[in-house]
Amino acid sequence: MKSVPEILKDIRPEFDFTTSYDFIMDGMLDSFDMMTLVSALDKNFGISIQGTDILPENFKNLQTIEALLRQSGAKL
Amino acid sequence: MTPVRSAGEVLEAIQKVKAGATAFCTNFFPVQSKLENWVAHQELSFESSDDVIFFLRKDRDFAHLYFCASNPAAFGDQLRRFSSIPTQKLAIDLVGAEASVGALLKLTEEAGFARYSRLVRLARAAAPASPPKPPTAVEVATEGDASAILALIEQLFDRFADQLPLSYEIAAAVAARQIFVVKENGRIAALLFFETQGLTSTIRYWLVAPHFHSCGFGSALIRHYFSSQTTVRRFLLWVAATNDNAIQKYQHYGYAPDGLVDYVLVNGSAKN
Repeated sequence: MKSVPEILKDIRPEFDFTTSYDFIMDGMLDSFDMMTLVSALDKNFGISIQGTDILPENFKNLQTIEALLRQSGAKL
Repeated sequence: MTPVRSAGEVLEAIQKVKAGATAFCTNFFPVQSKLENWVAHQELSFESSDDVIFFLRKDRDFAHLYFCASNPAAFGDQLRRFSSIPTQKLAIDLVGAEASVGALLKLTEEAGFARYSRLVRLARAAAPASPPKPPTAVEVATEGDASAILALIEQLFDRFADQLPLSYEIAAAVAARQIFVVKENGRIAALLFFETQGLTSTIRYWLVAPHFHSCGFGSALIRHYFSSQTTVRRFLLWVAATNDNAIQKYQHYGYAPDGLVDYVLVNGSAKN
């Protein structure tokens, strides 16, 4: 199983996601990347992130993504 | 259709559709600032059912159609109903990886829309670019250039496929210093219009006016652009898949397809 930073690196290898607190404002993830990320997280963690949770604030940084994963039933 | 009065109203309507979603699908990816502008300029209206919401955004003599649906089948059903009232020219964009847009493309065509254009997204990782060679002078566009910039974009780009800006967007881009121009005898000979958000920058329009081809202005502009965006790590743009000439130029500067495509379809009223 991959970690969240590893999954993000697969999607956007040119960025260092450990140094940003706001991936959206920093231009590291756009709306299309978010949809790709949701699919990758679902597959990697064996969960299904709810449509209502696909909001920019849940994909702002590593902490918010990990909180979303826990809320969605992932074991981190 | 109901006029949208606030960005919050849009988000609330989308949330209602998402709440019962089994296979949520959408072509509506506006950033907050764009959404607020559309609302402020009264460009946006919507119509919703339990599982699908349609947004129309007025643009010149037609409207862009956006949707959020709880699943593709519901989208297809509602789109057929929606498009059976052909009073308006409509254009719809279906964006995603090639394999993922196939089902929505089929449903959209079954609802009476026809393929109009296919765009591909190109990406470029940051890399040093040599600065423009003198004597080409690249300038930041000013307020006085706005109407000429809009006229050139409207002349050389496609209104259905290329998301042409309105005058207030040109004014905002000029104020943000996000349009570079090359002038000859006071006239705009070439321009590059871009949007930078954090580490990502997107070229929206790069053009050389017809009488100024082969003067090196386009090359000067793009080199100036790369050298001015020192903090950007990812450069993006959309280009028509059939525009081999432009794609070759972009590849020359290090761009390559990143896998995203945008199918643009129009309804019968727009085709006529």
